[in-house]
Amino acid sequence: MIEATATPLTSSTYSLAALFFQFLNSFGFIILATVGLAIIFGMMGVINLAHGEFILIGVYGTALTYHAGVPLPLAMVAGVVVTTIFGVIIERTVVRKLYDRLLDSMVATWGLALVISQLLLIVFGSSLDSISTPMGSVSYGPFSSSIYRSIFLPIVAVLVLAGLYALFTRTEFGIKARATIEDPETARAMGIDTDRMYVSTFAIGSALAGLTGALYAPALGSITPNRGSTFLVEAFVAVVVGGPSVIVGTLSASGVLSVFNATGSFFFGTFIGQMFLLLVAIVALRVLPDGITGYVEDWRQRRRAEQ
Amino acid sequence: MSWRVDAEASMVDRLRGRLEGPNTYGNSRLFWAGFAIVVAAFAAYPQLVGVYTVIQTSRYFALAFLALSLSFIWGYAGVLSFGQVAFFGVAAYTFGIIGLNFGSATGIMAALVGAILVGTAVAALVGYFMFYGGVRDTYVTIMTLVIALVLNTFMAQTAGSEWAIGAAQLGGFNGMDIPSLTLGIGQSGLVLERVAFYYALLGALVVAYLGLRALVNSSFGMTMVAVREDEARTATFGYNVPFIKLVVFTIGGALAAVGGVFYGSWGNYIDPTVFGIAFAALPVVWVSVGGRESLLGAMGATILIERMRTELSSGIGPIGSEWALVIVGGLLLGVILFMPAGVVPTVADRIDRLRSRRADNARSTTPTEEAVE
Amino acid sequence: MSTPQDINVRQRPAVAATGGSTDTILSTARLTKNFGGLTAVDGVEFSVSEGELRCLIGPNGAGKSTLLELITGQLAPSEGDIYFDGTDLTDLDPHERIDTGISVKFQSPHVYEDLTVEQNLQVPLQRTDRDIESVLSTTLEQISLVEQADRRAGDLSHGQQQRLEIGMAITLDPKLMLLDEPVAGMSVEETGEIAALIRSLHDEGMAFVVVEHDMEFVREISEQVTVLNQGEIFRQGPIEEIEADEAVRRIYLGENA
Repeated sequence: MIEATATPLTSSTYSLAALFFQFLNSFGFIILATVGLAIIFGMMGVINLAHGEFILIGVYGTALTYHAGVPLPLAMVAGVVVTTIFGVIIERTVVRKLYDRLLDSMVATWGLALVISQLLLIVFGSSLDSISTPMGSVSYGPFSSSIYRSIFLPIVAVLVLAGLYALFTRTEFGIKARATIEDPETARAMGIDTDRMYVSTFAIGSALAGLTGALYAPALGSITPNRGSTFLVEAFVAVVVGGPSVIVGTLSASGVLSVFNATGSFFFGTFIGQMFLLLVAIVALRVLPDGITGYVEDWRQRRRAEQ
Repeated sequence: MSWRVDAEASMVDRLRGRLEGPNTYGNSRLFWAGFAIVVAAFAAYPQLVGVYTVIQTSRYFALAFLALSLSFIWGYAGVLSFGQVAFFGVAAYTFGIIGLNFGSATGIMAALVGAILVGTAVAALVGYFMFYGGVRDTYVTIMTLVIALVLNTFMAQTAGSEWAIGAAQLGGFNGMDIPSLTLGIGQSGLVLERVAFYYALLGALVVAYLGLRALVNSSFGMTMVAVREDEARTATFGYNVPFIKLVVFTIGGALAAVGGVFYGSWGNYIDPTVFGIAFAALPVVWVSVGGRESLLGAMGATILIERMRTELSSGIGPIGSEWALVIVGGLLLGVILFMPAGVVPTVADRIDRLRSRRADNARSTTPTEEAVE
Repeated sequence: MSTPQDINVRQRPAVAATGGSTDTILSTARLTKNFGGLTAVDGVEFSVSEGELRCLIGPNGAGKSTLLELITGQLAPSEGDIYFDGTDLTDLDPHERIDTGISVKFQSPHVYEDLTVEQNLQVPLQRTDRDIESVLSTTLEQISLVEQADRRAGDLSHGQQQRLEIGMAITLDPKLMLLDEPVAGMSVEETGEIAALIRSLHDEGMAFVVVEHDMEFVREISEQVTVLNQGEIFRQGPIEEIEADEAVRRIYLGENA
């Protein structure tokens, strides 16, 4: 007779698996929350503190469309489209006046965030009906993890980063965009329409925010207007810890922050997990003032000089 | 400036010499007359309105300390902190903790002193960590915000009964009760509530304002401005810039701490939302709208904006507070786009330009000098 | 390639300007700065006496600015020491070195643009114990900006801003002034004004190290000149000798070849 009791080995394996899925969950979330903000900050030096609200617009766009009867994937597309259009409008009216005013752009977009979240609250009420999370969950031992949040979304996140990498290194648009960031004067002299570049980049950042909102719409549980700040905090913490490089920075920062977040959450609860994440960010900012990729770049330059 | 006044000047002139200078608005007899009238009006206010309004206005005064703390460090030294609420909240909680454990009048007084000391010490620690660690500009802003959020997250999970310091239950997101501010020695003293509390706050605010005026118009104020304008250049004159920023940030922390004690004892309550992102945004709004480099503007904007928010909330119910925030957000956006220096500096600037244009017209016939040599 | 003559130049102590004392106020010993594979400053033994006016010249890349930055503390030396007025500067932060009596004026004007001329002077001045009112009026006269006292510094012309910068350095009452290309981009008239200002300050006993390319200007103000080339002291001596020296002309021409 074989008794199927849980041995210490299997229970620790289950715990490890649970921890791992927790990590993936956080990893996917942070990457998707950050990538739109990182593009805009990395490319244009603008810190859009309304980023969380942009994501929220993606959530609301998706949820409202879905509750109107549209199937989920199409509803998500709608969410992305709405956010992108909104982003372009904001860029043309507000952001373009703030390109060389970094602190002011933070303060102004904060005001914008306030307006958006409160208007959403006023127009749509304190919450929208939630959307059930697709793909179900997998159980192992005493634990279970959502396939959507812990497996599907992290994969999507990495694919998004890969796609951005391809966009910025393999396409003509990407090369022009990078030239504009390096040296706008020279770029203009070479005939690049820097104005169009800025709008397009902001549009891409907005689209990415919309995508995040759309993807997380079925994963948030209740949909309330104050969720914007949940995304925002993770995002700007990851952006500053990651440093100037958009793709590698976002990847490395998400990895580091998620390790601490997941460990803290798993052993002590979500509050402590969140605190760990914030504390790591504080230490990182202090030790690596230019973020992870800034430090790597410095190190590379020093090595080059020594050769 | 203070060094301009010679020994024979009267005491009033010497006082004015200390309080006036290029770093504050309002350097004329007309201004001081107006100031005296406004203070007198606020002093007479409780006699003219109901107790409820007096109580509400006390709250705005407490918040004005928070505004002053941000205006001081941001407007004058260029340090934008989104986390002044951290020191504000820490002081409120500390006052509660000490006050709940030592309920006598002496105990409350000790709590007052202790809370301000703790709030200031935390600011000094944070300042040291940032400025001596080479944390710059926007990263200071983000770091201060993250620190406030850490406190928010931490305090929110202290709901369990094991989270207590002596007789004081921290309460988590249920918040903590805070005793009223009491002046006295021994077991009992004067409990400051309602009108008495209002006068205590008004007095403290006026003293703080005048003290800050003197400080920013002194050579230290000039140093702060030099650091704001060009840090690197200022260091080349031998100034120890990290130390200067530390001192400035600590003073700002002390101001926020004073406000926190008043705020906690005003509502006899504090909870973790004081460290939250929504509340942390408010000082930035008040100071941006009122005028970064204007202490008066910061205070005035606080009182007006908070008054507007209270009116809207109580007027049309919960949707009123939501619309109030829409207005607040819109104000912030509008000010940054169209009046980045804030209301008071922009208005003062326009008045100045009108006055000089009128003076020019009076002298009209001589052609004005070219600006470029 | 060093000739016996060059070796003698390096080992001879600095010749004081006429009328100045022979007490050394600034000296560097074996001062070297390496950047990776590049040696910007190589074993420099540079010294200046109290009240001396020394010009530092040399082709581009000779290491003049690096030498100044080593003295002010913006760069740390790879080897060697710097002494000022008896104090070893090695462990002092840049802002502490100012307190020993060195004042610096860098190449590009960095005035406080939104402050008035008077406020600009106040910032360094208030660190000293000097009487603010009188020093302000004296300095404004010395730099010929009395009329512009209440003007916004950002509205001044380039030459006026340079003068303001020198004024700001003067208010600290330094024993030694380091000037990095003080007349760059100035008209002939403005250059003459700066030369007169430096000469009058020098007459009052202030020591100067002036890095300059404008030989006309150098001729106007100094007697002793140090020529730097490829991080080393190439020649040192009176201006007439240096100008007549074939080798010096060659190193300048070398950079144009």
